[in-house]
Amino acid sequence: MFILKPHSGVPIYRQLSEQIRRMAASGQLQPGTELPSIRDLAMQHAINPMTVSKVYSLLEAEGVLERNRGKPMTIAKVARAQSPAPKRLQQLEPHLEQLVLAARQLELGESDVAKALRNTWEKTDERSVRRRTPAR
Amino acid sequence: MSVPYAVAHQLGKAFYGKRVLENASFTVEPGDIVGVLGKNGAGKTTLLELMLGFTPPSAGGVELFGHASYRLPGAAKARLGFVPQQDELVNQLTAADQIGVIASFYPRWDDALVTRLAREWELDLGERIKGMSVGQRQKLSILLALGHRPDLLILDEPVASLDPVARRQFLEQIIDVAADGARAVVFSSHIVSDVERLANKIWIVKDHRLYWQGDFDALKDSIVRLHLRAPRGLPDTIAIPSALSVQRNGSSATVVVRDWSDGLHSETAGKLGVEIEVEQLTLEDIFLELHR
Repeated sequence: MFILKPHSGVPIYRQLSEQIRRMAASGQLQPGTELPSIRDLAMQHAINPMTVSKVYSLLEAEGVLERNRGKPMTIAKVARAQSPAPKRLQQLEPHLEQLVLAARQLELGESDVAKALRNTWEKTDERSVRRRTPAR
Repeated sequence: MSVPYAVAHQLGKAFYGKRVLENASFTVEPGDIVGVLGKNGAGKTTLLELMLGFTPPSAGGVELFGHASYRLPGAAKARLGFVPQQDELVNQLTAADQIGVIASFYPRWDDALVTRLAREWELDLGERIKGMSVGQRQKLSILLALGHRPDLLILDEPVASLDPVARRQFLEQIIDVAADGARAVVFSSHIVSDVERLANKIWIVKDHRLYWQGDFDALKDSIVRLHLRAPRGLPDTIAIPSALSVQRNGSSATVVVRDWSDGLHSETAGKLGVEIEVEQLTLEDIFLELHR
């Protein structure tokens, strides 16, 4: 269900929480979807159970997950107000850093990259519009 | 807050005037999995033996379940499990007999658990210990330490002779012990990748001191590699507090720091007139950087 790389340098709790957040935000994990128990998830990935419980608590506090008495945690049902843009932008920060780093190594300027970003943005936008149209 | 299972204050040990461990203070809480790292001879085994009360401290002290570990009452001892680096199995016995001997000391021995694990770990309980491989002996030692469901399990290099499959089975068992948050594990290992998976706390023993200890996530955030870039040239001296190493390479430099925090980013960059890229390190890299 999740892709965790214990040896990547990024703390495991951050990898797991970011994945759940993204999957819930994108609808890949639908509201009401049950998450594995702390023990099962820890066993599956051979990671510390406390790490899993920390992530679950954190996401519960954020409203991404719901704790259910005696039952597995679920993706929150309540349609919550979308988190403010600056908060969502924060989630993008690591990707932006990667992009800027790569651009610098290629000796590309800010305006070149911004232009390329805009192009890619428009291209993917068309694609997703096209994909969405028949369903409507 | 839960009551810690182990608390050490400025723990030290000297043998014949030679210091083997100095000034170690730490706590182990229920639910903790502590990974102990250090080069051979750094003092890991001494640290664990002091915890277990096998040897009296020369300075400071360590309490287990609220009692001095060196004078641990029987009831508290029964809550302790230990896997030594060198096993203490009796060659003449079969595995089943050895289990019987140990089990007789403990009123709450879990036969079902031991039988199940022996089967999963492919241990032949009828086999005489003399004929067992080092790996089989290690598995049996671990089994013996788990059988009474200890609240605090201490293991000194428990997996050195295990193959990857057996090691994974061992890890799962450790997770099982810690999963309900009521029991704790302290284990030393040279297999950094195992420690990286499992530990929520890290102790790094270096030069007979507890050189670094704390939450693993804090370790990853505080010991980082900085990549400095200064198109208009680096300053003559790169003064960054807690720098462990500085490597210059033309207009860029790589600096490993010990006590980094996000808050230092813009301040440091501004002071040095450079751009800074922060790279988080794997546990193995951190360990190697600390031992350069």
